[in-house]
Amino acid sequence: MSGEAAVPAAARSTSWQWPALGVLTVLVLGAGTRALDKGVPQWFAGSDLAKAIEFPVYAIALGLLGNVVLTVTGLRDRLAGGFRTEFFIKTGLVLLGASINLKVIVTAAGPAIVQAIVLISAVFLFTWWLGGRFGLDDRLRALLSTAVSICGVSAAIAAAGAVQAKREQLAYSASLVIVFALPSIFILPALASALGLSPEVAGAWIGGNIDTTAAVTAAGTIVGEHALAVATIVKVTQNALIGVVVVVLTAWFAFRIERRPGAARPGAGELWRRFPKFVLGFVASSVIATWYLTTVGADEGKAVIGVANDLRTWFLILAFVSIGLEFRVASLKEAGWRPIAVFAAATVANVLLALGLATVLFSGFTVT
Amino acid sequence: MSDEHPPTVAEHTRAALNEDWAATIVGLVLLALVLTGVIPTGLVP
Repeated sequence: MSGEAAVPAAARSTSWQWPALGVLTVLVLGAGTRALDKGVPQWFAGSDLAKAIEFPVYAIALGLLGNVVLTVTGLRDRLAGGFRTEFFIKTGLVLLGASINLKVIVTAAGPAIVQAIVLISAVFLFTWWLGGRFGLDDRLRALLSTAVSICGVSAAIAAAGAVQAKREQLAYSASLVIVFALPSIFILPALASALGLSPEVAGAWIGGNIDTTAAVTAAGTIVGEHALAVATIVKVTQNALIGVVVVVLTAWFAFRIERRPGAARPGAGELWRRFPKFVLGFVASSVIATWYLTTVGADEGKAVIGVANDLRTWFLILAFVSIGLEFRVASLKEAGWRPIAVFAAATVANVLLALGLATVLFSGFTVT
Repeated sequence: MSDEHPPTVAEHTRAALNEDWAATIVGLVLLALVLTGVIPTGLVP
């Protein structure tokens, strides 16, 4: 790109003002979301629709609106450094751990791990095979397979490092993930309701097949608190398996696909380096809150955990606003229709397999 | 198109790893502040 050389390295490294303004933009839109979430049911008292709309809908709508305004005014790319979806969602999930009893995490972990292993293996291999049939580059196949089978953008970033993908391929895969995740936030809760799924099964289904963690949280919130708890546990379990997939991919590409001479074998250190540390924060938060609730009265405990829940809602709002702000379709046009067809077919396979697994593994499960 | 330099895969990986720790620390610190009463009920809008 010709513009690259025009930006001196020193100017890039010290220009924190634009990302800071980006964060401010997210905060302002987040405050707007909070105002709408509290205000709309009062302004339209008596309307069932107004009461039914959950905050992710306002957050994403305001984010998309901000996206259009910033794109038209030419400010979007400058402010993009402040749209920290990953940071906001992970902080929100650590806080979410405080509202989930440790017992629920421990009892859900078994079926969540089984579902994650079966789903990741089957969907990865199906996408890899289909990508081969469509003649995609091996690196792009690996990125798309990881993104659709594990957890979207963060998995694509990890896989890109493992297979030494080009940055255009990473940008393209990340765009595909978001383009597919955005409608699923609204479609899956509607389908779960139409199919009459229990909140727990709906949560396991959503957690198992929506690609990005932020979109899983948004869809889970729309279904309800119990669905959100199960969806989060299932998704966090998938997140925790990123390291395993990355280590296998690194070895597979080095020794089987590209046969790089003298390539080092990835070891346990790589597993730890790739492990998403916020998973530890999520579990630690649940352990701390579960212990805390045994030391205080029920009313006091409920009020205090309520404050943590308010903070969690704020971080989730900021993440959902960022999803709307980051949404872009431009890079999809450059790669043609074949990767889109592969990703779409893999997503449909993921949806169906996850529904079957969630029904079998979580139909008797209850969040109490 | 942006005229900023596009981040490399290595930069993406580094940023993701740093955000992971940052989110864990910020989340747990906020929880500690809530449980110890430094952030009281009613303060969060």
